Amino acid sequence: MIVEPQQARVVIPGTVRFLLLAFLAVVVSITSTATASEPNADSTLLETQQVEPVTSLVAQDFKYDNGERIELFWVPSVDDRLVDGLVTGYEVYRTVNEGDPQRLAILPPGANTFRDEAAEIDSVYSYYITTLAEETSAKSVATEPMTSEREWLNRDRGYLFLIAFVIAAAVIFFVETAKRGKKLFIRKIAGLEAIDDAVGRATEMGRPVLFVPGIHDMDDVQTLAALTILGRVSRTIADYDSKIFMPVSRSLVMTAARETIKSSYMAAGRPDAYNDDMVNYVTDEQFGYVASVDGLIVREKPATIFLLGAFFAESLILAETGNSVGAIQIAGTARPAQLPFFIAACDFTLIGEELFAASAYLSDEPKQLGSLKGQDVGKGIAMFFVIAGTVAATISYAWDIGPVNDVLDWLNQVFSSN
Amino acid sequence: MEHFGLWVGAFLTLGIYSFLYRDNAWYKLCEAIFIGISAGYWVVILFWDNFYGKFWIGREEEPMLWVGAALGVLMLCRLVPRIGWISRWPLAFIVGATAGLWMMNYFSSNIMAQVQSTIMPLLGEGYSASFGEIVGNFVIAVGTFAGLIYFYFSKEHKGAFGATARLGIWVIMITFGASFGYTVMSRMSLLIGRIDFLLGDWLGLIQ
Amino acid sequence: MKMKRGEVIVLLVLAVGSVLAYLGKINGWHSGFMFPKWLSITIVSLTFLSMVWMLVRTIQGKLVERRIVFLYVGIAVALPLLMELPQKIIVSDIVRAVYTELEALQPGSKVLVSFDYDPASAPELQPMAEAFIAECFERDLTVIMMGLWPQGPQQAAMAVDSAMKRMGYTDQDKVYGVDYVNLGYQAGNEFVIQRMGSSFQSMFKTDFLGTPYEDIPLVKNVKNFSNINFSFNLSSGFPGTVEWVQVAVDRYGLRMGAGNTAVQAPTIYPYVRSKQVLGLLGGMNGGAEFETVTGLPGKAIGFMLPQSFAHLIVIGFIIIGNVAFFREGRKSRLKG
Repeated sequence: MIVEPQQARVVIPGTVRFLLLAFLAVVVSITSTATASEPNADSTLLETQQVEPVTSLVAQDFKYDNGERIELFWVPSVDDRLVDGLVTGYEVYRTVNEGDPQRLAILPPGANTFRDEAAEIDSVYSYYITTLAEETSAKSVATEPMTSEREWLNRDRGYLFLIAFVIAAAVIFFVETAKRGKKLFIRKIAGLEAIDDAVGRATEMGRPVLFVPGIHDMDDVQTLAALTILGRVSRTIADYDSKIFMPVSRSLVMTAARETIKSSYMAAGRPDAYNDDMVNYVTDEQFGYVASVDGLIVREKPATIFLLGAFFAESLILAETGNSVGAIQIAGTARPAQLPFFIAACDFTLIGEELFAASAYLSDEPKQLGSLKGQDVGKGIAMFFVIAGTVAATISYAWDIGPVNDVLDWLNQVFSSN
Repeated sequence: MEHFGLWVGAFLTLGIYSFLYRDNAWYKLCEAIFIGISAGYWVVILFWDNFYGKFWIGREEEPMLWVGAALGVLMLCRLVPRIGWISRWPLAFIVGATAGLWMMNYFSSNIMAQVQSTIMPLLGEGYSASFGEIVGNFVIAVGTFAGLIYFYFSKEHKGAFGATARLGIWVIMITFGASFGYTVMSRMSLLIGRIDFLLGDWLGLIQ
Repeated sequence: MKMKRGEVIVLLVLAVGSVLAYLGKINGWHSGFMFPKWLSITIVSLTFLSMVWMLVRTIQGKLVERRIVFLYVGIAVALPLLMELPQKIIVSDIVRAVYTELEALQPGSKVLVSFDYDPASAPELQPMAEAFIAECFERDLTVIMMGLWPQGPQQAAMAVDSAMKRMGYTDQDKVYGVDYVNLGYQAGNEFVIQRMGSSFQSMFKTDFLGTPYEDIPLVKNVKNFSNINFSFNLSSGFPGTVEWVQVAVDRYGLRMGAGNTAVQAPTIYPYVRSKQVLGLLGGMNGGAEFETVTGLPGKAIGFMLPQSFAHLIVIGFIIIGNVAFFREGRKSRLKG
């Protein structure tokens, strides 16, 4: 059994190592300045001044990566000075599996670190730095052969994992609680009561209901929430024997929407009244879709318009056109940039997460209800840390109290672990 | 050809703007052209960039693409009503994979980083903040807290909790107002771009 | 939907006028117009006076028809394009931050620019793109362009042409493949960014022109985001800056600035505050500020006069609208 020398096992934290290297650099440069300042009658006779190489070159594997990074640290040459410096730059060389050296980079004077981003796990690497001066150069001692390593877990993200785990656990807990039949409380959401009235109004006026599910595909949770609400809306429409039309801009949404409306009509006991033409695909192109829906609104004059899902620049155009034909409009999106237009031009707006809350409320599904409650736990955690952190930061910066400083440092450490 | 392109561009632009006056045949024609061309454009893009560019070219290098192609074929089962239910599998894959992939990204960018940026000394470092900065810091800290309270669904908005939620919705509404202002700017920019095209590129009236 | 005689006459006059103006342009009968200063001031004054008159009529209970609002906004945008009035553009810190980032880069540094928009948003974003590319060329930075929107790379190609023209460069001064490259569009939205985190080449096997990735001198040694010194995202929606922040910035540590449509800008501000986005050009105003700070005036500065004039008109109509609203509200309460 061969015992490795002890120093190979000593792990010095990155910050400490950097400080040590910086200290060494300062000591060396002070010493060299002192030496250089000694009078030397021969120095003026020298045509070419020799340059000193970099020292203490260390190569080490970058922690928490896929094995493609190796970091180099060194103490710059003693001739690398702002005043009367000789160094014009550094060249970083690498040998792979004891082959020929390849130049990786040319760095400016003052550089003392480099990161090799193109390492491979199975290769053995050694590095050296060449210090460049006007007419000369100096090669450093090469590093010991080493390999890069792949880490499966990024331990820097420990706190991120912990908080995500707590929220995920809360979601699972509440989903299971809801599944066991326990009633989970969700506050009333303004706008939901208006759905039945709005559909009733369309029936009374003999005009159709328009449902726009946004312009995103089925991979957007807003579209899913919109389709859940569509289930309730189409059920009411089937009950009232009103009419619905739903132009969509994604083919997947078209099929899912048809299925949703069909099930609602079947649940209402009126499968014969369902028709595939209630939902039709227009185009994926944003403004092409808008032009079509706008024309439809002006021509069909729906009494009620639902604008629920992921909306972008089309939100104001659609809401304004709907408003101009006097329709009752119920809107909702989680895109913050589009909410102002819905609020200005629509009668009821589900703001941000209210869209998902409405979906959970209407569907009464344990999964949706549990998710919503679990997210409330997340919001509780965020609120706690916002207040605690702000108080700690204010006290720490104003009065510099030791324990509070520690708390603040810890909080910054927790939330920077992303 | 350049003349033709300019005139077609101007014809379509004016046709779409004519909707501001009232719905008319010119607008309907432009609308139909727009929808037809854009639908066709997307078919071409999806075919050449997705099917050909991604799957066909890379199919030998990356065998996993065949799994994606198979899921895509399953989507087509919807065309046959009897086996239409199979198309739910690829749909489930899309929804599940997207949710899984993006959960941590959202968590890290929109929660952790944002909470960290909200943790700040209200009075500045060593009371160094100006009055304006102190007000700004308070607005951010209190606004974030009150906004979160508004979106807390597990408690009825009553009493002090309700009052904070009302403050939250006020903060949100003020934000929306500012956002609306930005949108006016954006829409005006688009209009300026089009009018620059009409008066400049098309008619050459701008010096 | 029959047309009235008046409408037909207006249409005919517009059509004839357009044909004459066009013939004038191609035959050199005119080279465009610019109002003298006195006329510009007169037009501005008359416009505002007429709005005061509308306000008075609104107070008297006569509401303004919506088409009048459209007409005024149209006038507010069109006429200032023919005016030359002095204006001062103040560069904000958030815009200057993008400039500072470019200033700090060494010549030869690699800048990744993603064009995530289409012609619909070009009036706002194209001036920014042109100014940004021109500044990169001016500083001898190399530019790698791409798009997550299908029409993005075309916008990139146009921006490069315009920047080259503006700087007076030829194809020899800035060589394609060496000083700049257009990698083209890649379908897959945010997943493209994710894959680029491990390998650019896996997403862009060829560039826009079909040259294999490994044959392009500028990018053959670019493996992933770690080889990029700075990135700039021009975005008008999804996928765009938010997705770049979530994947490239937060996961791979890319340094990034952004240029966004004004609609998007408020969504990006929180990311600027948390330093996830290092600087932001918001809307045409952001573009004009960037042109000012770089000293390379372009279309955005020219468009600021109609923009400001249109904003004043909109503010005027907001006041008139609110007067009408409260007047009506009071009336209905009285009736009730």
